Amino acid sequence: MLSDAIVPLLLTLKVASLATLLASIVGIALGKLLGRRRTFTRDVAESLLTLPLVLPPTVLGYYLLVVLGQNGVIGTWLTSWFGISLIFTWQGAVVAAAVAAFPLILRAARASFSDVDAQLENAARSLGASETEVFFRVTLPLAWRGILAGALLAFARAMGEFGATLMVAGSLPGRTQTLSLAIYDAVMAGDDARAASMVIISLITAVVLLIVAAQLLQRRRHA
Amino acid sequence: MRRMNRLFLAALIGAASLHACAADVIVSAAASLSNSFNDIGKLYEAKHPGDKIVANFAASDVLLKQIEQGAPADVFASADEQTMDRAAQSNAIDKSTRKDFAANTLVLIVGANAKPPAKLDDIAGGDYTHIAIGNPDSVPAGRYAKEALMSAKLWDKIQPQIVPAQNVRQALDYVARGEAQAGFVYATDAETQKDKVHVAMTVPTSTPVRYPIAVTAKSQHAAAAKAFVDFVNSAEGQAVLKKYGFSAP
Amino acid sequence: MRIAVDIEKTLRDASREFHLRMRFESDADVTVLYGESGAGKSLTMLAIAGLLRPDKGSIAVSDRMLFDSAHRIDVRARHRRIGLVFQDYALFPHLTVVQNIAFAQNRGWFNRGSVDADARAVMASMQLDALADAYPSDLSGGQRQRVALARALASRPQLLLLDEPFSALDSELRGRLRDELIQTQRSAGIPMIVITHNADDVAAFGGKVVRVRDGRVAD
Repeated sequence: MLSDAIVPLLLTLKVASLATLLASIVGIALGKLLGRRRTFTRDVAESLLTLPLVLPPTVLGYYLLVVLGQNGVIGTWLTSWFGISLIFTWQGAVVAAAVAAFPLILRAARASFSDVDAQLENAARSLGASETEVFFRVTLPLAWRGILAGALLAFARAMGEFGATLMVAGSLPGRTQTLSLAIYDAVMAGDDARAASMVIISLITAVVLLIVAAQLLQRRRHA
Repeated sequence: MRRMNRLFLAALIGAASLHACAADVIVSAAASLSNSFNDIGKLYEAKHPGDKIVANFAASDVLLKQIEQGAPADVFASADEQTMDRAAQSNAIDKSTRKDFAANTLVLIVGANAKPPAKLDDIAGGDYTHIAIGNPDSVPAGRYAKEALMSAKLWDKIQPQIVPAQNVRQALDYVARGEAQAGFVYATDAETQKDKVHVAMTVPTSTPVRYPIAVTAKSQHAAAAKAFVDFVNSAEGQAVLKKYGFSAP
Repeated sequence: MRIAVDIEKTLRDASREFHLRMRFESDADVTVLYGESGAGKSLTMLAIAGLLRPDKGSIAVSDRMLFDSAHRIDVRARHRRIGLVFQDYALFPHLTVVQNIAFAQNRGWFNRGSVDADARAVMASMQLDALADAYPSDLSGGQRQRVALARALASRPQLLLLDEPFSALDSELRGRLRDELIQTQRSAGIPMIVITHNADDVAAFGGKVVRVRDGRVAD
């Protein structure tokens, strides 16, 4: 019974990890780009970028399907340049989960970066550091805890992603059927026993994640 | 003064009881019945003022699951006998009201601009990266397709190409959108998107595609539900179904 | 070495405007910017360091033009070779003492702790070698000040700017560290601009004194 859950679980972990990684890179870069200054334009930009968080997942999934699909702007580019399509693939599931989760990292990153004392960044500049060096040696190390908190939320969101994933990647067992989709299909097929065992696995995974998160955030490097 | 009050009260009660006869009839119907049942619902409402038809479309198995778990559906219309049989077994329906009301055919569709396959076996070929089929675990259309493909000895061969859809309309959408190169839907579904998909061939199924309808066992509006079921089977209801391409049961 | 500053800047916040209009020159080893808090001394220091851009004017250090609005010259802070000691030291809290001091010498994206011989000598003379692996939060005020100074010196600047370097310390420590600073200046040979509101500091440092009041040089 529990073996039913292994394949979807491993797939979900793979998709969620890669999605969080992708979302982190984009979220941190954009968080840095948006910067400390709260101008009207920058705040509007941040709000627009946060849209995936507030849109219903199926709406998000629909727009992703339109953009990434056969006739979509990005879809046709991918097909003509690389000969690949993201629809019905686990890579598509990664993209869907990443888009859904990245606003969580963006907001955490922007806030954490502005919390870093500007004077420290100035000190680094006066010591000869380039902007990239300032970012990697001072800003990021001092902001990482806040960003990590955002990333953990993003991972949880990516693990539970359903609506957008279903639209973009479909529910193909073994290929794109993540744990949430597998539970849904099992319920729809009337296989309650299978659904129940997968729900238990989800719960255990969530609890383990929470414990790991608490440990990570507690460990102090210096007072 | 007192007589006025009494008359007024009587009028109030009269109006209230009239309103009490009006019902919200929830109709859980297979996804392939979307267009036809929406039209039938409106015609029914015109004939029975005060009654409102609330339609709930999804794959037949999903609908049955909802009913079994206590969803307040009054009418259940499924796309195959198998699901209705299960409904009868779990006492979800009033068996005396069960009646077949329509029939359909299974077809293989491809995108409007694609070259249709000459025979069914062709779909096993490399051009058909994705073939959309309703998930046989929960969609009757998927079961009909699986049955046909198994007898054609194609089912195992095309496994890697299959994209399971949540219901027959989603399978249709996948082909219409170009994400799937072929799909198995009902002839009536193909009609609704005839500018985007073409019927390559009719797929004969050993089990005939027949739609039964029944009043649910726990319906709170049994009378109105029965009236709706009768309306579906009436000349008017049948005419609407025929318009959308369904045949007589 | 000659320092020539001639700058203007207007700063606005919600309620008021502040006009900075600083013009002074100095050949001295130690130049003291002396005035009350809010007079504009720190702003001047930030402008010289390249961390605040004046609206117009020019800044030249040792005949090298660092800023000239008329000719659109604005050398970036990292290229100005000017070391800073901030009022609250601005030590990197996530780095050890030696990593702080080594900051300027180690390029790249990672923080390492290797310093050259000169920097090590400075550390020894300031009694910091025993504290090499400590974090700023473990240090006393006097120790932090020394680390901040060592860090600025390790970047081999041509000019050192110190903003109220002793304000966080008690008067006894203040006197001692001031003498140390004067010693360091002499042995390192690097000209300094020291900002202070303390009259004793002015007397001890000597050199050129530039009185600052309301954003201007007061005579």
